Amino acid sequence: MTYEIFKHFPVLAIMCYFLGAFIVTLAGKRRVLRNVVAGAVMLISLSLLLSLVVPVMVNGEIITYWMGNWEPVEGYAIGIAIEVDALSLFFGLLVAIAVALAGFYSFRYITQDDANGPFFTLFLMLSGGVMGIVLSGDLFNIYVMLEVMTFAAVGLTAFRTWNPNAREAAFKYLVVGSIGSTCVLLGTALVYGQCHTLNLAQISAMLPGNMNPTMIFAFAMLFTGFGCKSFMFPFHPIAADAHGAAPSSVSVLISGVFTKTGVYGIIRVSYFLFRTMGLSSMQTMLVFIGCLSMFVCVTMALNQHDFKRLLAFHSISQIGYILTALGLCSAIGIAGGLYHAINHTLFKGLLFLTAGAVLYATGTTYLDKLGGLARKMPQTAALFLVGAFSISGIPPFNGFASKWMIYQATFEKAAETGSIGYALVTVVCVVTSVLTLASFIKVGQSVFFGQLRPEYENVKETPLSMRIPMWIMAALCFLTGLFPDLMIKYLLGPATAAVLNTARYIDAAMGAGYAEATAYFDSYLAEPVLTFAGTWDPVSWLVLFVIIMCAVTLVSLAGKSGRGAVTLTDDAKHATFFGGEEAQYSHVASGDLFWGFKHNLRGYLGFMSRAHSGVTNDYVVWGVCAMAVITAYCFIFM
Amino acid sequence: MEFLIKIVYILIFPGLLFSTVFGLWLAGIDRKVVARMQKRVGPPVLQPTYDFFKLLGKETIVPSSAARHTFLIAPYVGLVSLVVTALFIPIGGLQAFGGMADMVVILYLITIPSLAIIFGGSASASPFAGVGVSRSMVTIMAYELPLILVLLSVGRAAGGGLVTFSMEQVTLYQQLFGSFLLDWRLIPAALAMLLVIPCEVGAHPFDVGEAETEICEGPLVEYSGAPLAVFKLSHAIKMFIMTALFAALFLGGISTGMVWLDVVIALVICTAVTLVCMTLLHAITARLKVEQVFKFFWTVVSGLALVSLLLVWFVD
Amino acid sequence: MFKKLIDNSAAKSPWLFHINAGSCNGCDIELVALLTPRYDVERLGFKLAGTPRHADIVVVTGPVTAQSKDRVLRTIAQVPDPKVIVTLGSCPRSCNVFRGSYSVVGPLDKYVPIDVSIAGCTPKPEAIIDGLALATQILKEKRGAK
Repeated sequence: MTYEIFKHFPVLAIMCYFLGAFIVTLAGKRRVLRNVVAGAVMLISLSLLLSLVVPVMVNGEIITYWMGNWEPVEGYAIGIAIEVDALSLFFGLLVAIAVALAGFYSFRYITQDDANGPFFTLFLMLSGGVMGIVLSGDLFNIYVMLEVMTFAAVGLTAFRTWNPNAREAAFKYLVVGSIGSTCVLLGTALVYGQCHTLNLAQISAMLPGNMNPTMIFAFAMLFTGFGCKSFMFPFHPIAADAHGAAPSSVSVLISGVFTKTGVYGIIRVSYFLFRTMGLSSMQTMLVFIGCLSMFVCVTMALNQHDFKRLLAFHSISQIGYILTALGLCSAIGIAGGLYHAINHTLFKGLLFLTAGAVLYATGTTYLDKLGGLARKMPQTAALFLVGAFSISGIPPFNGFASKWMIYQATFEKAAETGSIGYALVTVVCVVTSVLTLASFIKVGQSVFFGQLRPEYENVKETPLSMRIPMWIMAALCFLTGLFPDLMIKYLLGPATAAVLNTARYIDAAMGAGYAEATAYFDSYLAEPVLTFAGTWDPVSWLVLFVIIMCAVTLVSLAGKSGRGAVTLTDDAKHATFFGGEEAQYSHVASGDLFWGFKHNLRGYLGFMSRAHSGVTNDYVVWGVCAMAVITAYCFIFM
Repeated sequence: MEFLIKIVYILIFPGLLFSTVFGLWLAGIDRKVVARMQKRVGPPVLQPTYDFFKLLGKETIVPSSAARHTFLIAPYVGLVSLVVTALFIPIGGLQAFGGMADMVVILYLITIPSLAIIFGGSASASPFAGVGVSRSMVTIMAYELPLILVLLSVGRAAGGGLVTFSMEQVTLYQQLFGSFLLDWRLIPAALAMLLVIPCEVGAHPFDVGEAETEICEGPLVEYSGAPLAVFKLSHAIKMFIMTALFAALFLGGISTGMVWLDVVIALVICTAVTLVCMTLLHAITARLKVEQVFKFFWTVVSGLALVSLLLVWFVD
Repeated sequence: MFKKLIDNSAAKSPWLFHINAGSCNGCDIELVALLTPRYDVERLGFKLAGTPRHADIVVVTGPVTAQSKDRVLRTIAQVPDPKVIVTLGSCPRSCNVFRGSYSVVGPLDKYVPIDVSIAGCTPKPEAIIDGLALATQILKEKRGAK
């Protein structure tokens, strides 16, 4: 069977978003028409990408599409290519799913904003930019899309213009983000100067054997640039502002999708273009950055007083997991990292949407001003719990499955290299995981449980149109965690193979035998084998859980005759126990929690919150320092 | 036949029935021996069982300001997930369901019951419970670091040059090369584990989260009747699970060739470990403050476990 | 299925919640003294509960002052059924030497029915144990009556 027809799907998927962005504007103030157009665009893109799963993931095709049919001439790729291998499609799917769910959520969510006209234009521009990056096979095209994406994201961050925080966040984002963009542009220019081509496949064939100082510099620039886009440490503070200030459905995109393009860029740069990941120094660097992002951001998150800022810091913490896993350069590490990437998109998306629901219902996301909402919004609370359990890695939700793979990968790497440092990375991962759990218990206690604030007595559950996307995300969180085997077989395995098999990517674009001719690749790599140090079978766990739950239920039904009654009335007997005093409003929340922990780490936590001064200049200095350090490191160790 | 054996595993041994009975028995032994150490007669060994059944017969009060569903469901989820965990821990070499969950999974599975208490307490909307939730979580943060270090040390030692997370492999290795408690490199880790057990179970002197005299039993303050009984039962089963985990990790090499005898020996070890790390500590110490617990676990206990990890890593 | 077990356990695991309604502290000390090695009521299953929600037996000491009345009644109400109310010492029963004071609104039986009264100022530990043992029997009866 040929896949001629599929060749056009990736470019159509990108174009859909951009066309949609402009058509939506024509709809003007007609909200229904606007929603129909935006919804159709998002669904078409999603279905186009879904239809590629069979050819690309299952049958292992790599789809190459030359824009305007400008195919390579005499081994030189002049035209712009769209090249979709399993890795691109993996990220593309992730983008399309998140965009569709966030988009459908926004239909209702943004009705509260008065000037919501340009929302979907920017939203679809952002989506198209992201999709363009992950499907593109051209380095400069990636840069262009990166800029489209960044500016759309800046616009959306400042979308609530009445909110001074949003304007400030957008400004910071613009300034610090431009460091990243500049780095990427500089790197791209240097690579072009060296290779005289911008096609990813051809660069990957030409560069790795011919590294010179200019190329090392170009690598450092591209790495820093994409790192900035993924908000890795020390670019993380802007993420906190941007995610916190943007509307929730946009935060889903910025956190779940935008940051993934940075991760995707880092994979492309270090695994494909320069193939530096084989160097142990590069692995150390990526793992180190990953661990720093992970730990620093989770401790910062513990200190936050705003639901969305807290989630924002967690995004970077989870990106830290992904970077750490990718830095191990082992099959299980890459698979674990990619698994965590898709899981992060799902559970963080879910959490941002619940934050949006809280904002929609109460008008605030400030932890100290909320409380007891589970009684008024039971479904949102349940959804929050699913998200919180997923991100904290509670079995059998998806966060656990991927974290578990990452623990294995780091620990196996430690055994393989004999370096105890990687074992300590495992420890950092576990500690980060438990701190993540702590901060979500803080959110749970502050927002959904504890005492209901008197002013929220009339709060209502979020409308159905907002709950449906959340339920879909929750279901996906559950399912992706329940079937890691299927995930590995159909998504992660092909994507991991794609990461490790640069030669196939090159040959698909440049014609068979091109990679071999460059004398750098001797042959195709075999399919990656994932070696597990332990076992985890979520389905069996769930079956056992259900059997025992049934047994417990049966026993308790059988013993009903002797059991005491369950009573629930609104009298003195059922009032909260206050040591005999009359029940009153007293909510232990947010800043009151985790005293013993905060007290012992007060030096570190104090230093961290002082360091995150909120001043744009400081963050720029951090970014520039990071650039300098990474460059110096690359020159010394490569 | 195969199916019947599985059902017996799930419902009777080491599943629901056995873990309930043995857990309550351990809790009873604990109370009795503490009393004897304080020169008291002490309650009968069946006392926790009486407490459990009495609580079943009491009225269940749902506070009017509580999040009702979470409040009532949480105890049962905690109990069931604990019993499932019991199926994954080899007891005297007998593992009911091998190849399903490894050490790291167990590390995560045993936090679910603690989470059940935390979210149940959180849902009860009492400020006492709020303080208890905060303290319980700090305790979890405290013991998780040493526990993962202990598990990594054992995983490295049992890997034989490589590493493993698998409980079967740990048991197998010990049966071939002797128990890890006899390996001098792992003795600090065993000590650390002995200190982690009371913290995880919530026993003296680390029971800051459920301190009855200071914060009215913290998360349990509003619980009464059957849900409270289930929490008390979970507490008892946790004693069984944690001591069984210790037995599997450090004394898994005891093998007489007869499965039932191995199981009996393992249960005796569980009891002995309970006596050493819970009863003894309970009788001779007073409750620590929460910041002391955290500091103790992140310095002394983690230090012990780290020493073991370093020894296992660098000394053959 | 477990009815018999539950019924039998009802008297074997009485958890106490102690309320001081303005007592001089004498009875309170005696109550706590029962837990010491010499008398050790834990051998009968007695335990001091931290919250009224866990309690079976409420032990009230003191003559019920105006300040404490509402708190005592509220706390007693918060104990789940079946429950037994025990007064310890003469004060809650008769206000003892505090009778007639402007700040005393006792005795307690003006407000709630009392199941067991242990007389004395302060009662001997043996008397307290006897009273509490009686309370457990009442607890069992109440359980059966339900």
